[in-house]
Amino acid sequence: MAQILNKALTNIYDFLLKHHESKLAFKKELLIIKTDEFNAKKMKKIEKVELKYKHQLSKLETHAGVESEYLKEKISEKVQEVEDKVYWKKRIINQKIKRAKDEKKKEKLQADLSSLEQSKTNKIAEIKDKFLNVNPSDQDINSYEEQKAVLEKEKESKVKEIAKTYEDKIKELNTKTEEAVKNHEEKIKKYSDVLSNIEESLREQADTVILEKDIALSLRNLSMHFGGLKAVDDLSFDVKKGEIFGLIGPNGAGKTTVFNCITRFYKPTSGEMYFNNANKKTIHLNDVKVHNIIKQGIVRTFQNVELVWELNILDNLLVAAHSAYRSNFFGHSVHSRLTKREEVIFTKRAMKILEDLDLKSYTYAFPIGLPYGVLKKVELARTLMSNPKLIILDEPAAGLNDAETKDLAKFIRKIKDEYEVTIFLVEHDMGLVMSICDTVCAISFGKKLEMGTPKQVQNSKVVQEAYLGGD
Amino acid sequence: MTYEKQMKNNINNKMMSIVKHPYFGFFLIAALMLFVQLLRIAGVDVPIQTLRAFGKTMIYIIVGLGFSILLGYGGLASLGTAGFVGLGAYILGYFTNQLGLSIFMIILISIVFAIILGTIIGFISLRIEGMYLAIITLAIAQIINEVFKNWISFSNGVDGMIVNNRFVLFNQYVVLDQNLVFSVIAVILFLVMIVTYNIMKSPTGRALLAMRNSSSAAQAMGISIFKFRLLAFIVSTVYAIFAGVLYLSYIPSTFPGDWTLSLSLLILAAVIVGGSRSIYGIVMGTFLIFGLDLALLQNRDNFGGFFVENPEITIMFNGILIILVIMFYRGGLIRLMNTLIAKVKGIYSKLNKKWREYRYGTDIK
Repeated sequence: MAQILNKALTNIYDFLLKHHESKLAFKKELLIIKTDEFNAKKMKKIEKVELKYKHQLSKLETHAGVESEYLKEKISEKVQEVEDKVYWKKRIINQKIKRAKDEKKKEKLQADLSSLEQSKTNKIAEIKDKFLNVNPSDQDINSYEEQKAVLEKEKESKVKEIAKTYEDKIKELNTKTEEAVKNHEEKIKKYSDVLSNIEESLREQADTVILEKDIALSLRNLSMHFGGLKAVDDLSFDVKKGEIFGLIGPNGAGKTTVFNCITRFYKPTSGEMYFNNANKKTIHLNDVKVHNIIKQGIVRTFQNVELVWELNILDNLLVAAHSAYRSNFFGHSVHSRLTKREEVIFTKRAMKILEDLDLKSYTYAFPIGLPYGVLKKVELARTLMSNPKLIILDEPAAGLNDAETKDLAKFIRKIKDEYEVTIFLVEHDMGLVMSICDTVCAISFGKKLEMGTPKQVQNSKVVQEAYLGGD
Repeated sequence: MTYEKQMKNNINNKMMSIVKHPYFGFFLIAALMLFVQLLRIAGVDVPIQTLRAFGKTMIYIIVGLGFSILLGYGGLASLGTAGFVGLGAYILGYFTNQLGLSIFMIILISIVFAIILGTIIGFISLRIEGMYLAIITLAIAQIINEVFKNWISFSNGVDGMIVNNRFVLFNQYVVLDQNLVFSVIAVILFLVMIVTYNIMKSPTGRALLAMRNSSSAAQAMGISIFKFRLLAFIVSTVYAIFAGVLYLSYIPSTFPGDWTLSLSLLILAAVIVGGSRSIYGIVMGTFLIFGLDLALLQNRDNFGGFFVENPEITIMFNGILIILVIMFYRGGLIRLMNTLIAKVKGIYSKLNKKWREYRYGTDIK
């Protein structure tokens, strides 16, 4: 009885812990985005104020006859406009001259051309006259300095005000976020303490399993029978945290069945599966539903590419972040603030992943028509969207050529290091397996043959026999 | 950059951001409807038949939008749409005539009905898929239709239910002006389009698409098939029943014969012909299948009453349209439109280039 109660309690605390952790991550990411937004707004407003100040100053300058930088720019802009107009008119006339057959008409057009040139110089002179008072009165010159000082003071006070308001906003945001972060961290600490206490009490009881800290996944006596066929037969092994674990075997050895059992697409006939999740809590995988596996931190890919063909690559990545969204259907249907913020945050995360995997040029492309190697890489990128702990790759190199396979190996190693994940893969390409895996497990007809470093497995007689046949 | 130029740019940017806003097109459609209505109020001779046709078309657009979430996004088929629309209409009629409930109350009740009905069908859809699911929804619609015919105290049987725009707003029967109801429907259509657009572009829409593509991949990404199938059915049923309420608030009477399989098929045709994943496509498809038929062909003054006397011709025309779309343009009219627009744009830019070369000479930047 106490045991059942404890188990229920662990589930509740686990849920609370996850809730606070997701909120914490959300707040932290939002802080960065909002600060950037505020800064950008501040810069824009200050720029506007400065431009207005220059504009007002230029009016004074016109009266006082001072030729300043802004005035020069303004004049050059106006002159440019006139020159552009004249340039195109000239081209039209030139074209007409080319087409004209009459000599008289040609002469007339030539005259037009020269008059155009004359009017252009006139107009430019007019503009200069308009903006530069050639003979300023003494009064204007005297009052110019005063008025300039007044304007400058006004501008500076405005700029200061804007800077202050935005700094205040950022400060407020920071303090608010800090408070929230503190609050969440306290709660997380509290809950994890409670959890570890419960776990300790559970550890004393014999029939609950707590995995060692450095083990990510553990299969114990796993069997999966389809009628009389034993696809997986009494298989047990441990996957260590932070390693690349390869599962190999001849065709029909039951590798994909093992994957499907772990991700709960199949219900194993017998045997237990345990997983150390993101909260360092041991999960009995047999009790988890298919669509909740990703929430525990396990993501998988499929043998054949399973992308959403109607969406572009970025949206495909966002689909994979589905489990991380906290906004619900009603929020989505009115496009609520939370939805907008989450979209921004996850888009940013997706962009970073795409950049890491050299897929940036395909961000807005649709999957139809892209090379197979790129699609496989998109599948790999998609797994990273939900901050997983264990990535399960089902034949990542199937259908790829040698260059693409090498590329893929590079990226698998890269994501293992950068995203701190454990990778568990099934592969037929022995070159890939032997080059990137830390541990290899060979199975045949659902039974474990050999497990160890790639070298050990390669040299094992049992494995050679299974692949090549005895003698 | 000088101050004047900056100001000019700012105004331009603001205008562009309004025009390019995704809701702007929906606003235009609703505004066009309101404009037609305004013309009639102002005294321009717009036939009442045309106006009625537009009103009905707007209601069917709402049904079609719900259907597109179900079919285009969820990948689930249903042939019971007409029954649900009819149920909405009858709920409005019954509660207004018999019990005298306020129309706002009735809308709430109808939504609750829709959620219950959607949940039931959603549960069925977990067990049965594809064509069989469509047949079951058809059967449910048929049952609803039989109820309309035979439960006299609820529906007044085959004699039909007559409301004549007489509703209870607040404790009192009020006769609403048809023009007013038309305008309200146009505004509601605008809102419904916005909500549908939001759903389609949100994580929910993406999850539905993922589920449609491959249910196992969707599950591996944390999308619960159970939840989203139920959601798709509930959304489409709510849209349909709500549209039914709007129908009887605009059209004076309803008969069981209005809600047969043929209407379901026409709505399916409108969604498929227009393009099942595009709001503009559905608007176009519905106008083609319903609007054209109701406004032009069903009018006795046009074509010497030929189409009124031979209604089979329009059905044949619809059938041919569906065949053409499915054989040659799977994306529907909206894709045809997009390719046409792209072609026109290409031709325009080519002509423009040639004209500029003629006018200004060949070495143009």
